[in-house]
Amino acid sequence: MQLAKLSVNNFRNFAAIEVPLSRNVVLLGENRVGKSNLLLAIRLVLDPTLPDSARQLKLSDFWDGCDLAQNPQIEVHIDFADFDDDNALVALLTDFRTAADPNVARLSYVYRKKPEVAGSPRSGEDCEFLVYGGGDESRAVPSRVRRRIALDMLDALRDAEGQLGSWRNSPLRPLLEDAVSTISRADLEGVAADLETATRKLESFPAVRALEQSLRAGILSLAGRAHDIEARLRFAPTDPLRLFRSIAMYIDDGRRGISDASLGSANVALVALKLAEFEWRRAKNERNYSLLCIEEPEAHLHPQLQRSVFEKLFKNDDTAQALIVTSHSPTLAAAAPLRSVVALRSRNGATVAHSLAWLPVSEDELDDIERYLTATRSEMLFAKGVIFVEGDAEEALLPGFADAIGRNLDRLCITVCNVAGTNFTPYVKLAGALGLPFAVVTDWDPLDGQKSPLGKARTIGIWDAYCQVTGTQALSHGDRAKWQAANFAEFSAGWAQAGVFLNDQTFEVAVANTPKLVDALLDILDEQGFGPKRSARITDWRFFSPVDPEQLLAMVADIGKGRLAARLAKKAPGLAPPAYIGAAIEFVVSRV
Amino acid sequence: MSNHAALAQALEDLRRNREQYEAALETGHCVVLAGPGSGKTKTLTTAMARTLTEDVVDPRGVACITYNNECAIELETRMARLGVESGERSFIGTVHGFALSQVLAPYARCIPGLLPADFRVADRSECRAAVEVAYEDAFGDGGDPHNRWTFAEEKRRRGVDRDLPEWRGRNPELADFIEAYERELRARRLIDFDDMPLIAFRMIRDHGWIRASMCARFPVLFVDEYQDLGHALHELVLLLCFQGSIRLFAVGDADQSIYGFTGANPELLQSLTTRSDVRTIRLRFNYRSGARIIRASMGALGEDRDYRGVDGAPDGEITFWPVPLGHLQQSEHIADTIIPKLLERGYARDQIAVLYRSAKMGNIVAAALEAADLPFVRADANALVKRSSRLARFVETCAAWTTGGWREANPPYARLLQHAGSLVYAGRISEAEEQVLSRQLIGFLRIGIDAGETTNEWLRRLYRDLIAPWQAVSRNEHQEWDICSEMVDRTDPGKGKDMPLNIFAGRIEGTGRIALSTLHSAKGREFDAVILFGINDGDLPNWHDNKSDRALREARRLFYVGVTRSRKELCLVYQEHHHSPWVVELFRRSQQD
Repeated sequence: MQLAKLSVNNFRNFAAIEVPLSRNVVLLGENRVGKSNLLLAIRLVLDPTLPDSARQLKLSDFWDGCDLAQNPQIEVHIDFADFDDDNALVALLTDFRTAADPNVARLSYVYRKKPEVAGSPRSGEDCEFLVYGGGDESRAVPSRVRRRIALDMLDALRDAEGQLGSWRNSPLRPLLEDAVSTISRADLEGVAADLETATRKLESFPAVRALEQSLRAGILSLAGRAHDIEARLRFAPTDPLRLFRSIAMYIDDGRRGISDASLGSANVALVALKLAEFEWRRAKNERNYSLLCIEEPEAHLHPQLQRSVFEKLFKNDDTAQALIVTSHSPTLAAAAPLRSVVALRSRNGATVAHSLAWLPVSEDELDDIERYLTATRSEMLFAKGVIFVEGDAEEALLPGFADAIGRNLDRLCITVCNVAGTNFTPYVKLAGALGLPFAVVTDWDPLDGQKSPLGKARTIGIWDAYCQVTGTQALSHGDRAKWQAANFAEFSAGWAQAGVFLNDQTFEVAVANTPKLVDALLDILDEQGFGPKRSARITDWRFFSPVDPEQLLAMVADIGKGRLAARLAKKAPGLAPPAYIGAAIEFVVSRV
Repeated sequence: MSNHAALAQALEDLRRNREQYEAALETGHCVVLAGPGSGKTKTLTTAMARTLTEDVVDPRGVACITYNNECAIELETRMARLGVESGERSFIGTVHGFALSQVLAPYARCIPGLLPADFRVADRSECRAAVEVAYEDAFGDGGDPHNRWTFAEEKRRRGVDRDLPEWRGRNPELADFIEAYERELRARRLIDFDDMPLIAFRMIRDHGWIRASMCARFPVLFVDEYQDLGHALHELVLLLCFQGSIRLFAVGDADQSIYGFTGANPELLQSLTTRSDVRTIRLRFNYRSGARIIRASMGALGEDRDYRGVDGAPDGEITFWPVPLGHLQQSEHIADTIIPKLLERGYARDQIAVLYRSAKMGNIVAAALEAADLPFVRADANALVKRSSRLARFVETCAAWTTGGWREANPPYARLLQHAGSLVYAGRISEAEEQVLSRQLIGFLRIGIDAGETTNEWLRRLYRDLIAPWQAVSRNEHQEWDICSEMVDRTDPGKGKDMPLNIFAGRIEGTGRIALSTLHSAKGREFDAVILFGINDGDLPNWHDNKSDRALREARRLFYVGVTRSRKELCLVYQEHHHSPWVVELFRRSQQD
C-alpha cells in the first residue's frame, strides 16, 4: 500500500492544496511555512494516539483567508492506493473506496460549524469534527482501522535533547532530590543491590538476552560500528546516587535508559527501537500499516548519521510502512528519493505544496537529476529561483555577472544550474514542478545556415516540458509554425518573455565580443600563474591577435567558479555582462 | 476476539460425536448434512468460532448467511456465548442483508449507472405499484398484473444469471415484464428484496476487484439452512467459493426444504455434495427425539434415513386424536382435552407447542385457548413479536432489560445499543451518533424500570421517545419502523389486548405460555410435546399440493418438519375418517423397530 494523495483545505497555512504522494514523503520548506501543520493535518486523520480534544480544533485553526461567515470547513483527505494485494488492508479499507476510483481508498477529517448553530461560529465549541471514509460522511471509520493503519510521531528526537537538557531545569528535580535526601545511604544502597541482583537475574533469561542482542544488532546495522553505544537492557543504573535520576527519566519519557549515550546515537537508537516496535506490532498482528513521522531530524543528528540512517530508511522496501520527514537539511534531501520530495512555499498568504511524486521524467533522467542534486547538496530544492546554463564556464561566470549588475544570487537564493550539455528538459520539469521561477541561458547554435538552428527546437522543447508539468496550455500548431519561420531577432525577443534567453552564436563568442569583460577576464587569468603556453596565449590576446573564445573560456572554467566570482566581483563596477545574460538574471530576480 | 476457554470447551463437547467434531475441524470446502436434532447449530457455531480463532487472521473475518433474521439472531446469541460479538470481524445475517450491507452499500456507488444514489428498499405497496406500471408497459392487455407477476417472480428468482440464453430463450415476455418492473423501481430510486442478491451477483461476477475484496474480508463463508436459500444464494456461492477463493462451510438438510414458494430448491444442496472438491459430512445422531418419534418421522417423510437416537433416551410417545368434525372442534379438543392431559402429565406450558399450517388456523386455536384461559404466545404472521423482524426482537429485548434484565446485564446494554445502531444506521455509525443514540436509549429504558407501565403504554412511549426520532435520522436502506405501530395496535387496551410488561417480555417465572406456530415458523425450534393440529386430508396435502409432484413432496417435508419438532410426545389431531394419508404411514413406521 502507499499514500497516493493528500488534500488539505482551510487549515492554518493552507487554503487549498492537493499533493500527489509517493511511498515516502519528505516535506521541505523554510521555517514557519507550515511543515508541522501539514503533519498535524495528517495526524488528524490517522494518529490513533491523538485525543478527541486535539481533534476538536479552534477557530484560529481556520486559514486566515477564510471568511467565517461563509461557514468554511477544514478538510483533510488522505488517499491510499495499491492496497489490493494485501487482504488484511483490503478488509480494513474496502468500505472506503472512492466512488470515482475503486482502487483508491480515502480517509477524511472535517471540522465545521455544527448545523444547529445559527450565524457565524463564535468559538471552537460551535464547531464539530468528524472522521469518515470513502468520501461519504455516513461511513464512520471504526477505531480498529486507525489502530491498524496508524501513524507514529517520533518527537522523541527533539525530546531526547530536551530531556537531557532540561534535567537540571526540570521542576521534578528538586522534588525528587528532596524525597531522595530523606532516604538513608544504606537504604539507597540496599535498593541498588536489589536492582543489581534483579538486573543480573533479568539478564540471565535467554529471551531477554536474545532481545537485547537483536536490538543492539538493529542499532549497529543503522549506525555502523563506529557509533556502537553498547545498549543494554537494565532496570536502572545501579549506582546508588544515580538511582533517582533514572526515576526522573522514567517519568519524562518512560521508555529506555539511553540518555547517557551521545545525542545523535541516542536518536539513532530511538529510530531503531521505533522500527523494531513496528516489526513487533506487526508480528503480534496489531498493525497492518505504519506511518512514521519524524520532524526535522537534522537538528538532532550529525550529517553523516542523517545520511546513513535515512538512506537506509528510504531504501527499505517494506510496503507496510512509510516515512514522513520534515526537513530543511540539504543532506537529508539529497538522501531522499526525488519522488518523495514535497516542497512547501509561501505565496500570497497561503502555503502551496509542490510534489515531485508524479514528475514526468524517465528513469534515466531521474537518475541524472538525483546525481545532480547530490552533487550540489540539493541546492535547487531550497532555492527561490534557478538559472539554467549549458556548461562550466557559464556556471563560473554567472554569479560574477550578477554581482556586476548589483544582484547577489546567493543572497537572493537563486541558484545556477549547469546541465552539462543542452538537455534542459528534465531540469526544467523539476523547476516547473517545484514552482520555481527560472530562466534558461542557451546558444542559438546556427550550424551551417542550411538547417534550422538547434536553439529553436531546444527552446520549443523546453517550453513543452514546462507546459507538461505545470498544466500550462501547450503551443498550437499555428504557433509552432510561426516560431519555426521566425528569424533570430524575432525568436529571441519572443522567448525572452517566457524566460529562454538566446545569443546569436555561442556563449564563448558573446563573451569575447563584450570588450570590457574580456579585459577583466584576462587580468584575472594573468594572476593565475598558468603554464608558459597559456601565459603566452594570454599575452598574445592582449596585444596582438583576437581572442579565441573557446580557449578563453576553457581557462576561465579551470579557475573554479567560486574564486572566479570573487575576483570578478572586485572588478565589478563598470563591467557589464552580455546583454542576454543580464536579461536572464533580471528575469529571475524579478520573480523571486 | 473469541473466548478461548469457551471455544475449547465447545470443541471438547463435540469430541463425543465424530462427525460433528470433524466438521468443526474441517479446513476445506465442507457440506454438513444435518437432520433434525443433530446438533447442527452447535456444530456450525463451534466451527465458526474455531475458524475465527485459528484459521482467519484479524482483521479478516467470516460471514455467515442464514435463512431469516430469526435464525441470524439465534446464531448471534450462540456466538456471543462463545465470545464472538458480531460486527467487527463476523457478519451474520440473511442473504438479503449480506447482499445489501456487504456488496451493494459499499460498492454500488463505484459502478457508474448501476443504481441511483441514495436508493432505498421498496415497501410492499411500492412493489405492487411498480408491478402494475410494468404490466401496462409489457402487456397492456387489461389482465391481472399480480397474477402474472407470480410467474414472473419465479422466473426472476431462478434466472439469476441473465447472460445465459435461457433468460430470453424461454418466456421472453416475462423477461420484458421483469425488466420493466425493475426499470420502474429504479426510476423511483428503489430496489426490492429479490433485487439485492441479484444485483450483488452481477456486481461480483462482473468486477474482479469486488470478488477479491469479498475474499479479503471473508476468506470463509458459512451458510446455514442451505436448502432454503434459493438460486441467488447458490449462484453467489458458486461464484465466491468455486470461481473465487472463499472457503465454504454449508449446513443444511434437503428433507427440511419447505420454502419452495420463495425459490428454494433442495437439489441445490444435493448438487454441492456431488462435487469432488467438497467434503460431505453427515450428522447421524438425533439428540432431540425419542426413538419412536424418529421412526415415525421416516413414515412422515416417506423415505428412510439412517438417523439414530441417543442410547438411553426415552422412546417417546405418539398419540392419535381423531375428532368427529373440522378445525373448530379439533381446536376445542386441543384446548379442553389434549393440553390439560399433557399438563397433568407434568409438561411445562412453555414446553408444549401447537403447530398448524396457516396463520388462519392459528386464529382458530388461539380463540380456543383463550376460551379455555390458557396463556399462549404466537409465532406466525399474526404474532405480537414477529420473530424474524429485527426491530420486533429489539423491542422485546428492551422489555426484557427493563423488567429485570438490567440487574444481571442479561441482555447486556451494550448489545441493545449495538442493535439500535444497526437498526438506525445499518451499523455504519460514528462515535458522536452512537453517543446520541445511547443517551436516547438509556433514557427511555431507565424510565421504564419499576414504572408500572403496561405493554401498550410502554410501547407508545417507545414510539414517541425512540422510534419517531430514529426514523427521522435513519440511514438504513431497509427500514421496518411500521412494526412498532403494529405492536401498539396489537396491544390495544380498548380491545382487551394489553398486558403487563413482564408478560410481554416473557420474563415471568412459572407462568410459561404455550407456543402457537405455523409449521414453517416452527423450523429450527423444539418442544417436549408437540400437537399437530389439522392433519386432515385436504389440509395436508391440500388441493394446491396435489397439482404438482414438486409441491406434493414439499408438503410432505413440511409434515416431516412438524413431526420432528417433538422431543418426547407427539399428538396428531385430525378429523375422524378424514386424516391425512401420511398419518397411516407414520403410524405404521412408528410400530416397526
